[in-house]
Amino acid sequence: MTTATLSREPRLPRLREFGWSVTTIMVKELRSRFRGRRAFVIITVYLGVLALIAYGVYAVVAPQAQMQAQFGGGGFANASATIGQAIFLLLSIFQMLLVGFIAPAFTSGAISLEREKQTLDLLVTTPMRPGGIIVGKLLAALAFVGLMIVAAIPISGLVLMYGGAAIDDIVRQQVVLLVTALGLGAIGLFWSALIKRTQAATVLTYVTVLGLVVGTAMIFIFWSIVSTRDADNQFGTPRLAPEQLLWVNPAVAMMDVVANTELGGFGAFSSLMSTLQGGGSSGVVCDGDTCFQADGSGFVSGPVGAGGVVVPLDCPPNARCGVAGDDLAVFQPQPVSGHFWTRFVVSFAGISLLLTLASMRLVVPAPMRFVFRRRRPAKAMREAIPPAEAD
Amino acid sequence: MTGIIETRGLVKRYDGELAVAGIDLVVAAGEIYGLVGPNGAGKTTTMRILATLLAPTAGEAMVCGVGVTSDPIEVRRRIGYMPDFYGVYDDMRVWEYLDFFARCYSVPAARRVGMIGELLEIVGLGDRRDSYVEALSRGMRQRLCLAHTLVHDPQLLILDEPASGLDPRARVEMREILRELSGMGKTILVSSHILPELAELCTSVGIMDHGRLLRSGRIEDIERSLRATALLRIEVLSDPAAAIEWLGTDERVGDVLDVSGAGLTRLDVPFDGSADEQAALLRSMIQAGHLVSSFSQTTSDLEEIFLKVTGQDGNEETAA
Repeated sequence: MTTATLSREPRLPRLREFGWSVTTIMVKELRSRFRGRRAFVIITVYLGVLALIAYGVYAVVAPQAQMQAQFGGGGFANASATIGQAIFLLLSIFQMLLVGFIAPAFTSGAISLEREKQTLDLLVTTPMRPGGIIVGKLLAALAFVGLMIVAAIPISGLVLMYGGAAIDDIVRQQVVLLVTALGLGAIGLFWSALIKRTQAATVLTYVTVLGLVVGTAMIFIFWSIVSTRDADNQFGTPRLAPEQLLWVNPAVAMMDVVANTELGGFGAFSSLMSTLQGGGSSGVVCDGDTCFQADGSGFVSGPVGAGGVVVPLDCPPNARCGVAGDDLAVFQPQPVSGHFWTRFVVSFAGISLLLTLASMRLVVPAPMRFVFRRRRPAKAMREAIPPAEAD
Repeated sequence: MTGIIETRGLVKRYDGELAVAGIDLVVAAGEIYGLVGPNGAGKTTTMRILATLLAPTAGEAMVCGVGVTSDPIEVRRRIGYMPDFYGVYDDMRVWEYLDFFARCYSVPAARRVGMIGELLEIVGLGDRRDSYVEALSRGMRQRLCLAHTLVHDPQLLILDEPASGLDPRARVEMREILRELSGMGKTILVSSHILPELAELCTSVGIMDHGRLLRSGRIEDIERSLRATALLRIEVLSDPAAAIEWLGTDERVGDVLDVSGAGLTRLDVPFDGSADEQAALLRSMIQAGHLVSSFSQTTSDLEEIFLKVTGQDGNEETAA
């Protein structure tokens, strides 16, 4: 009776070991999270609020939209589409807010709580891969946020009844929401793995989220103002900060998605997107044969270039005013929407990946992390032998 | 393989503070090895190194023939570790707790159900299967945590103070469970700062202090070697200085300590000899003219022995 009575489990291949760890953690987390009525109540309340918002927007916008459609002349969408757009806009903003608050909350305690409750030692002495633990935690947190986002699709789908936003708009909206949830979740997880205390980790997580949403926008504006006032720039031509700053801003990405619903790229959000891309307020947007100032200031009066494209009178000295064919400067209209959200998705997914990898390193028992760096047996041994009069 | 645990010159430093100062520990398969020492002796650090939670600063540690730094995951698969302080998850039932850890060790679903029942029987929580973990008493949690170390049927259990904070009855229960596990063929490394508790349970003990392993071996051997030196308490009515001087002439007597107080003259006399020799000492002392009013061996239990061993670590250079 000296050896174990049961046979030992054979070791799985690395990848299966990883997958096994992920599902183990997810099962445990989700079992606790969906226990009882809590999850059910939260989702019900959330959907109820979303439905109320949709109805409220309809009640407020419908009369106005009808007035505009009747008396506003051209340039306004028809009443139904206006209602659809307004609902889409409000739902997008609300869901974005929700994701911004909930996704970090679910992950910013994921590791630090295990540390505080002293359960982490038990967890890391199991043969599970640290990567599996981290990814399992992240996915378990996202599963709940994801459920809330996906459960709200039918309410977003209301928009389809009114028009103004198409299925592809809703798909974009969902993609941006899910990627935002992933990124913010990864940020929370990273701080949670790095900082010992949950409170501090939570604060740092929300500070980071605020930095991404508000901070990048402030820096962008400030930078742009400063460089426009540059001494060399005698004419005060607008010069913009690098737009890459805004690639990590989920709010800008969502505005970009909303801008796409605006008819012919005409509206507040399209104008904003155009500005951010250096189009300036002098940007011209064409819809068929009609062209508008992108800021909605009216029709463009200027020479019509080849292909019915209007050349702006004060063609700003930037790349968008190329010379095509003759000596005629041709303004090449750029699609103003659809620029930011794709870049956001890619860069946010990249950030999530990096943070997740960093968290994996951090969850390894702290002193084991630098095991290779610390291994200096000869020197350590010399130090280890204390002087004879030890204590 | 000579030992399930083997360490050679194990050293751990925290920021220059020496927690473990070169330990050579060998635990053979099937033993219940008790690691005993005061708080801060390095017991927990040693165990955490063996459980792959800490990397040693220097030296090697092999568990089941696998190096703890070279393949920690393999080591984790072979041991069950119970830390001195740990928490439990909220919102989890007892069977879910064990099921979770069984999954962690990739035990297939078919085996988990039956095994959880068996483990709960072993630790006496059979009727608590559906209770919430946070609702369990301290003793029950301790036993549940012990059960969690067994889900993958490890060869070696590393238990850091499994009886700390338990009432006497729960301690006895814990001891019985450990005996049962030992009977099932598991090697157990257990730590405590209470020696008698271990003395009844262990086959071998190691006494640690200040990061060193002062004594290590079969428990009978250690007891014998230490009990040889008894501490006698002698009360004399005559001149204590003369008595001390007289006692000093006997080579079996160590340094006599005058612990007089409250009008009584008391001497603590370390004496290296059997009970017969003690009686002979008393006779010859009285014959020498000293008025002895009391002559007794102070209750020299293991705890005191342990204090004695750890007290003399300054000149103890041989970490046997």
